[in-house]
Amino acid sequence: MRAMKLPLALAIATTVGLSAPLFAADEDYRIVDKPLTLTIHFHSGDKIVYDSDWPVEKRAAELTGISLDGVASMATQKSADAFNLMIASGDLADIVGGNRLKDGFNQYGQEGAFQPLNELIDEHAPNIKAFFESRPDIKSAISAADGNIYYIPYLPEGDFGRMYFIRQDWLDILELETPKTVDELYKVLTAFRNDDPNGNGKKDEVPFLSRDWEEIVRLVVLWDARTTGSDTFHDYYVKDGKVVHGYTEEEYKTGMMNLAKWYQEGLIDPEFFTRGKRSREVLFGDNLGGMTHDWYPSTTSFNDSLADKVPGFNLKAMPPPASPSGRQLEEHRVIPVKPDGWAISYTNEHPVETIKYFDFWFTDLGRRLSNFGVEGVHYDLVDGKAIFKPEVLNASDPVNAQMWNVGAQIPKGFLQDFEYQAQWTNEMGLESIALYEAGDYLTEQFLGVSMNPDEQNVYDKYQGNLLTYMLEMQQIWILGTEDVEAGWDKYQEQLDKLGYNKIIDAMQSAYDRQYGS
Amino acid sequence: MSQVVLEKIVKSYGEVDVVHGIDLTVDSKEFVVLVGPSGCGKSTTLRMIAGLEEISGGKLSIGDRMVNDIAPKDRDVAMVFQNYALYPHLNVSENIAFGLRIRKVDKEEIKRSVSEVAEILGLTNYLDRKPADLSGGQRQRVAMGRAIVRHPQVFLFDEPLSNLDAQLRTQMRAEIKRLHARLGVTSIYVTHDQVEAMTLADRIVVMSAGRIEQIGTPMELFMNPVNRFVAGFIGSPPMNQIKATIVAGVDGPEAKISDSVSIPLSRAEGLASATGQSVIVGIRPEDVLLEAAGGEPSVPLEVNLIEPLGSEALIHASVGGEPFVIKTPTHGDIAHLNDIRQFHVNVDRVKVFDEKSGSALYQADQARG
Amino acid sequence: MKNASRTRWLIQHFKREWQIYLLLAPLVIWFLLFLYKPMYGLQIAFKDFSLFKGVDASPWVGLEHFRSLFDSDMFLRAIKNTFIISFLNLMIGFPMPIILALMFNEIVQGKFRKTVQTIVYLPHFISLVIIAGIVINIFSPSTGVVNLLLMKLGFEPIYFLTQPEWFRPIFIGSGIWQEAGFQSIVYLAAIAGVSPSLYESAVVDGASRWQMMWKITLPCILPTIIIMLIIRIGNLLEVGFELIILLYQPATFQTADVINTFIYRQGLVGNQYDVAAAAGLFNAVVAFVLVMTANSISRRFTRTSLW
Repeated sequence: MRAMKLPLALAIATTVGLSAPLFAADEDYRIVDKPLTLTIHFHSGDKIVYDSDWPVEKRAAELTGISLDGVASMATQKSADAFNLMIASGDLADIVGGNRLKDGFNQYGQEGAFQPLNELIDEHAPNIKAFFESRPDIKSAISAADGNIYYIPYLPEGDFGRMYFIRQDWLDILELETPKTVDELYKVLTAFRNDDPNGNGKKDEVPFLSRDWEEIVRLVVLWDARTTGSDTFHDYYVKDGKVVHGYTEEEYKTGMMNLAKWYQEGLIDPEFFTRGKRSREVLFGDNLGGMTHDWYPSTTSFNDSLADKVPGFNLKAMPPPASPSGRQLEEHRVIPVKPDGWAISYTNEHPVETIKYFDFWFTDLGRRLSNFGVEGVHYDLVDGKAIFKPEVLNASDPVNAQMWNVGAQIPKGFLQDFEYQAQWTNEMGLESIALYEAGDYLTEQFLGVSMNPDEQNVYDKYQGNLLTYMLEMQQIWILGTEDVEAGWDKYQEQLDKLGYNKIIDAMQSAYDRQYGS
Repeated sequence: MSQVVLEKIVKSYGEVDVVHGIDLTVDSKEFVVLVGPSGCGKSTTLRMIAGLEEISGGKLSIGDRMVNDIAPKDRDVAMVFQNYALYPHLNVSENIAFGLRIRKVDKEEIKRSVSEVAEILGLTNYLDRKPADLSGGQRQRVAMGRAIVRHPQVFLFDEPLSNLDAQLRTQMRAEIKRLHARLGVTSIYVTHDQVEAMTLADRIVVMSAGRIEQIGTPMELFMNPVNRFVAGFIGSPPMNQIKATIVAGVDGPEAKISDSVSIPLSRAEGLASATGQSVIVGIRPEDVLLEAAGGEPSVPLEVNLIEPLGSEALIHASVGGEPFVIKTPTHGDIAHLNDIRQFHVNVDRVKVFDEKSGSALYQADQARG
Repeated sequence: MKNASRTRWLIQHFKREWQIYLLLAPLVIWFLLFLYKPMYGLQIAFKDFSLFKGVDASPWVGLEHFRSLFDSDMFLRAIKNTFIISFLNLMIGFPMPIILALMFNEIVQGKFRKTVQTIVYLPHFISLVIIAGIVINIFSPSTGVVNLLLMKLGFEPIYFLTQPEWFRPIFIGSGIWQEAGFQSIVYLAAIAGVSPSLYESAVVDGASRWQMMWKITLPCILPTIIIMLIIRIGNLLEVGFELIILLYQPATFQTADVINTFIYRQGLVGNQYDVAAAAGLFNAVVAFVLVMTANSISRRFTRTSLW
């Protein structure tokens, strides 16, 4: 371990320094006496590369004495390409970060590209250590198959993401109640379809639409099925301690049959596979769309942006309609840990300083800095709470975009503060959250498993083709090309042939090892 | 009847006339050669007869039919092209048969015709070859075979020999002549080579700048060119043309070349009235005597260069400061030719042309050929 | 010494001809760098490849990847689809530019011909993404021209892009629409090279335009056609998979998924570079066999060949 080589005195000194009081003086965050510059390869979301001029980075450098020099460049557009190129070259920066890197961190970490962080965290990162102690599930979720932690993740806060939204103005026009069950929903959508709520005399209404075709599939949840266990579409989920895939269950069959019927009857956007990402703008903007299932911040904003174009436009959140068994489930939620974050590469000669630097972002000051930007510039501290300055809240750019521009809210290893989002969420959004909070519609999430190389090989070998086949049949059934009932047995057989059970065995053994059964 | 009659045939491209109203009658079975320098309109004329170019004005008849507006295929003509126009993907036999196939002639008939033609042209052993595997002469023969096999009323030849080397050209010339004698089909042949024209033609049509200069048998044209152009074009080397003035001499009019040199034009009664006129005197290189046979007037000359051709030699000299070529038999020795200081004129063969119009004033020797 | 004299000769030779070798160098370097050096990486098809370990340090797994590929119905289906689409493309897509060129050749009027040619060349210069967008729009069940037409004629609208049986016609058709015009340039050039006297001779012989096209133009450009055909056969399996990715849906995988889209999903989306390399190697070997076969058949029967 490289950490061992460092003078013990320094290690002790800094550990003492970090057990700081709530209102610590600036110098208490200092990690190194002599300024230290570390390189960082941080390429995220195909749009952000680490910028040493970010005010947040500069402030952190002032406080810790460590400054980061971004080496990733937008010359490579895709973040995944940038990461892969760097790994393949073997020339790793001291710190590597970005989004969707969990698998990369864990695989290459086990191969030696990244340093295991467990001991470093135990010895030098009290704040991170405290967090993991409070959330052992997250610690398990990010651990690699060898049990080591190779990266510090981005930890979003705020549970709510997608919700059901319905056109209250259409309900009013047709004198209908908000549907409470899937049967009522069927009646409402049929009315949307047949009773001309937009009043143009044409039967051109699209009762249910989505910009992601996967959301149409997710409607099977209304018949007690499951489509995913995480915030990724088509993921596995855990049912009574067993890993399963929703697309293999009886409830899914029922859901598919109903979905095919709905599609046949025109209750679902007939072009949902090819409509594309702007279908909300188009169909709501033309006063054709009636209902969707989507992120609340962007969806509620249509009420403002379309106020002039579609008079009376009123898209309102509604609780998930109850399934035949009476279940009211909002399957989607913001995952508490993203596969994003940062790691210490094997070439880094200052792992102790680096883990202390990572830990800095888990202190209150560091957390505020990464959530709200620089104190006095972007936010003020009022009664110990960070409050965005009015000029930030009232600027024409959305607050999140402003934060990205100064280096806050980027998916490095940090703990998000939902306050940041609440402060600029509109009233509609807050109402929607309250509605969903009151109903308690969310469920536990599957945070993934870390498979050992053998398990991973099984997964890699079968997963691609298995999922391809699932999605293929899914579309064929919804479009009515083949009958669900007639094809179900053959579907099950084929899933087995494509290795579904082998994948489940592999994942289950990883799951048991990781989370303890 | 397979007479071809051109009446006031005109070809113009937009505003520009390239053929200015040609009148020509080609008799049945006659072999007529259109000759002239490039750009004189001879090929255009031929292509109008073939139907490949539209006729801008005048009337064209083949046989007794006016064919101005008749499609090429219905004119019953066959054409041989300069670059042979052989189809590279077809073998000799298929190339020859192409025209018949297009006309959906019976297969047996085609086979018979092709082998007949192949025999005539000596191609029997090459029928399966592709054009790329043939020599130039063989290709030329295939091209002719393609024309012959259709038994057209008229053959049209567009410089068919110009892609061959000199020796082959001589050989093919003879073959064409033999073929014409055998088949007796009306033929119109375009060339820029006056030797070809002389050797092949029943009658030659000399063209220049879109007009006919003279029509006549080869010997007529050789002996009695109607103007300086024809005189210069027919015969090799060309006729010497010397500036002169008609003066009254002792025995009658003389052509005075310089103060010291005059050529007597003794028998030219018609020229008496032309005294003082500027003319061009034409003397063929062959019509010069180096040794007087008796009484011929002598003209002094200066020898510049001797070109031995074997049995003959060309003497490049100057007369009165103007270039002058003499062709003379060598009898195996050219050394003495350098010593020549004068020559004698066969007065009977001297031509006189008006300097301004270029047309002949005086034909010393009427129609002997 | 024989060797010494050869060395001396070589030195002399390079001294004299160095400019020529200098001119040759860029191409040779390009080949070595971009075509031969990457071949070294092909070995990952036989390895359990890790980006971090690199090509050399990754352990050998023999034919493991090939075995799992050929065990997979998806891959076999992709092979089948590749062959079917390629074959249809060849049968329909290959003659189109020739037909177009022949048709252009029959248009005499200059301005009209230029206009038509420009219109037909144009799609070649449009980005594939936009082409796909246009195709999706044209075949949209609610607003697409095709379906509006069908509805006018009293038929039910069809959601073409989700119907497996429609995928191939649409894909091949849009490929032709995009490329046929531009590809016809080669044939137009070949036609321009046919001696005009061949046509004149045929006119005098009494051939119609139709006959001239069949008996002169086509045979004369046949060598060009055959060369293009051999090249095309070499690229037979290189189905334009970018367009497929833009147009296909899981619902149409059964007719649309080809080896290259399979590789794409495995390699880029699934990060299984080693399996993707194995599939790519298989693709390349089949293509190599195809082009060798086509070339030798052509050399034997038409005397035209690439080498």
